[in-house]
Formats: sequence, C-alpha cells, structure tokens
Amino acid sequence: MNAVDIVVAEDSRIQARMLEKVLVDAGHSVRLAEHGGKALELVRERRPDVIISDIEMPEMDGYSFCKAVKSDPELRTVPLILLSTLSDPVDIIRGLDAGADNYVTKPYDPGYLLARMGDLLATPIETDTAGEATLDVTLAGQTFQVKAGRQQVLNLLVSTFENAVTKNKELVVVNRDLSLARDELQRSNQELTALNERISRINKQMTRDLEAAARVQQSLLPDEEVTVPQVDLAWRYVPCQSLAGDFLNVFQLDAEHLGLYVVDVSGHGVPSSLMAVTVGRFLSPKVSDSSLLVRPDGNGGIKLATPSEVAFQLNGLFQADEFSGLYFTMLYGVLHVPSGRLRYVSAGHTPLAQVAADGTATLHEMSGFPVGFVPEVEFDEESLTLSPGDRIYLYSDGVPEAMNAEREQFGDEAMKAVLSQGRRDGLDGTVASLLSAVETWCVPNGPLDDVSILGLEWGGGN
Amino acid sequence: MSTFRKLNVSRVKDVDVVIFKDSKILDEELLDELRTELSAVVGNRPAPDVLLDFSNVEFMSSAMLGLLGVVHRKMKKADGRLKMCSIRPEIFTVFKLTNLDKLFSIYGDAGDAMKAFE
Repeated sequence: MNAVDIVVAEDSRIQARMLEKVLVDAGHSVRLAEHGGKALELVRERRPDVIISDIEMPEMDGYSFCKAVKSDPELRTVPLILLSTLSDPVDIIRGLDAGADNYVTKPYDPGYLLARMGDLLATPIETDTAGEATLDVTLAGQTFQVKAGRQQVLNLLVSTFENAVTKNKELVVVNRDLSLARDELQRSNQELTALNERISRINKQMTRDLEAAARVQQSLLPDEEVTVPQVDLAWRYVPCQSLAGDFLNVFQLDAEHLGLYVVDVSGHGVPSSLMAVTVGRFLSPKVSDSSLLVRPDGNGGIKLATPSEVAFQLNGLFQADEFSGLYFTMLYGVLHVPSGRLRYVSAGHTPLAQVAADGTATLHEMSGFPVGFVPEVEFDEESLTLSPGDRIYLYSDGVPEAMNAEREQFGDEAMKAVLSQGRRDGLDGTVASLLSAVETWCVPNGPLDDVSILGLEWGGGN
Repeated sequence: MSTFRKLNVSRVKDVDVVIFKDSKILDEELLDELRTELSAVVGNRPAPDVLLDFSNVEFMSSAMLGLLGVVHRKMKKADGRLKMCSIRPEIFTVFKLTNLDKLFSIYGDAGDAMKAFE
C-alpha cells in the first residue's frame, strides 16, 4: 500500500498516540483530532485518503462526524473506518445510517486495521448516489431510516462478517483452553478423591490399631477373678486418652504372697503406652526367666524377688536417655497374706495411703527416684504390718494432682478425707467415691491425666 | 553462640545460662524442640557449666522431668556441672513428689546458682 494521508479522530490521547505510531510505522502520515468537530476542520482543510474515527467522543461523536463527511460532496468518497466495540447490533445500523464504510472492533490488531484500510483504498467508493435507497430497518423495537449505497452496504457487511469470524476464532481458542482447564480440573478432582479415600483408609487403620493397642494395654490390668481369702481388692483405671501411661495390677505370687503395683509412665498416648506395655511384660506374675517378680529357683521351686530388687532391675533396663526421655514412677508392694506384713518400694511414686479401721489416714512418703534417672541406684525398701481391717491404696499422681478449672490441685488432704469417710462403705464403694470426687473436681474439662486407684483391705490372719 | 527458638542462651563467666522462653512447658511438640535445643547447648563444649533458669515457667508437665534427667546424664558423662534456679513453688512440687529435688542442684535465684559455680 502506498503512503497515504490519514485523519484520526480519537479523544483518548493514549489510544490516539498508539494508533498514530502503528500508522506512521507503516509509512503513512497522520493528523490527529480529539473530537469529531476538530476532525471535520482537518478534513475540510485538506482532503485525506482515509479517515479513522472513534465513536464515543465529546462535542461531536463518531456517527455525527461520519454523517457530516458523507453528506459533503467533496469528501463523501473518502473511506471512513469506525472504531467500535460493536457491543450492540444497533451500532451496525447506526454506522450504516451514518454512511461508514468499515467497522474495526476495539481492541484491534494493528495488522488487521492496516489490511482493512488497504481493502477500502483498493475499492474506490461509488461517486453516484443513484443506487441509494432509503430503507426502514427495525431493530430492538426501534425503526431506523437507513440511506446507503450498495457498495457501502456490502463493505460494511463484509467488515462485520470478518469481525465476527475473527471473534469466533478467538472464542474457539478460549473454548479449547477452557475445555483443557476443565479436563485438568476433573483430573485434580479425581486425584483429590483418591487421596481422601486413602486418608480415610489410613485413619480407619490407625483407629483399629489404637483399639488393638488399647486392648493389649487392658491385658495388663488385674484378672477379674483374683480372689484371696482375707483380702478384699478394688480398683479403677481411667485413661485420659485411648492409650495410657498408667497401669496397675494385683496378683498372687505364691500361696502366701500377693503382689500389687501402680506404674505411671511420663506423658500420654502411643509412646507412653508402648513403654507401659513393655514394662508390664517384665512385671508378669507368671513364673518365668523373663519375669522380674517370680523366677524358677533351679531346684523345681520358685524365688520371689524383693520389691527393691524389682525396682533395681527395672532401673537397669529402662534408662530414660535410651527412651527419648520417657521414665516412670512405680509403687510395688508384696503382701504376706497370713501376717499382714507389706514390703514395698517407691520409685518416685506418690505416697502409699494407709487407712485404719477408725478412719485414720496416713501417707507414707519414700525417697526413691523414678525409674530411668540414675543408673545403678539402690532403692530403699519399707515395710509395715497391717492391722486387721486396715486398707492401703496405691494411686497415680492423676489423683492428688487433678486440676480444676482454676488450676487448683485436688490435693492430698481432699484425698485422705474421701478415704477416711469411705470407712463407712465397702472398699469398692470407697475407690469409686475417690474416682468420682476426682472427676467432679475436674468438671467441666475432665481429668487431663490418667487416673489409677488400687485399694486393698486386709481382714486379718488365718 | 547460635540462636534458639525456645531458649535464651548467654555465656556469663564461663557458664552457659539457659532461660526457658515459654511459660507453659506442657505439650509433646515443645518437649521435642527443647530436647533438640538443650542437647545442642550441652554438647557445645567439653566439661560445660550450665545453668537452667526457670523464671518464665509457670506450668510444667512431669514429662519435662524426663528431659531434665537426660540432660543431667549427659552433663555427668561430659564432666560438666548442671544447676537449676528460679523454680516456682507450684513447679517445685513436681520435683519434690518424685524426689528429683534431691537429684538436681536447685537454687533460689540465678545469683545463688552463679556463686555455687565459683
């Protein structure tokens, strides 16, 4: 296309400059006007080869400017391109009525605009007005009287059609992208569903494992059918989570001896309960070489370990630094049933409580460290002789240290009071009262630690 | 000295003074972090002198005692000296119940503890 002279009517300075650059780069000369009125002055001053006009402009809009050009006999054959958003079909009728030769929709591709210009210049506009007829066109309930030549109608139709085709191509691309995105979304959704199913499966498996572990831990608790003449037993065990660090047991060691303990592994949950189960295996009352309590003596008989020996052995096996800081406290006692003599050891455990028949309650404190702190340490052993009707209680720190909402501890005195008052009830009733007193203390949050209580009443010798 | 998330550590007269930043030492996650950071402090040099300052600590679970036991063992193996100070009465009960007040060297405040290192 040869260099031509172009008048551009555009009120946006930025868009005007951009369009000017496109046209100047293509070798044309450009005259800019910021509205239709100014543009009309420019075209009358010197007849341009092409006019490009925006529609929305102050003072004189694109349609009025176009009409003015096309009704001027000197100028009517100058091709005029309207820049439109073509957001409304009525725009086409308006452009046709105004006599526009071509439409280019905004935003436009510079190459496309130049091509349209070339097409218009290659097809000179008819100079006669003979082919013109006035037509009534009704669109959107409005009737337009359109006066246009065949050439102009054809040009405008072609440009509108080309526009539509271009827009359609763009739409096809967008559509394809959308469809790809949709497929991608579907795949992601499927992966998410699969992941969710997996999590739910793993969750179920973990719940099953925890339940199984809790059952293993339950197996450390006393057999329901432990019955010893002259001895009454009662216990309660309430883990604060499904798995506990606490456990307790009472069992016959031989014809005359009863063993009993409460163990409290630090922390809660899986690590503590694994340690509890491991410790429990060593504290088995079944005669075996692996039991720390009763071993074959080599002559067909059995040998009972003293409580201090048991604590010493456990301390050798469970040093805290090999169990990532886990340790445990324990109170282990051996009762000689005929004499009522109790030998016991405390490894950093809460004191043994003794309650006489008249209700006098005593806490027996001891000086041993928890198991796991000091290697090779010896544990002192204490002994006491029960009077007929005496009760003893072993319990975890979850009893005296139970905290209420104000973070106050239940305390030793409250515990002793419940145990003293319990002399009016049976042993089981007293143990139950102590548990319920702790639970009431902890309303509304409930105990934050495992609670273990083991009670024994000695009825006297044979 | 490197920085820690849960401890303020400073060297005073050749003693590594370790101040716990948290007021509540209760959950397992914090214990794990403290385990890592305390190991780093203790394993820092041969024959270390370490003072653990509890002045910020208002609540402490008994599980923390196990960690202190581990630190105690490590210090002993390294021929170091471990002291503790500024333990509130409520927390001191936890030490007393388990007789660990007799195992650890515990002082009323940092001044007393520092004198004991001299």
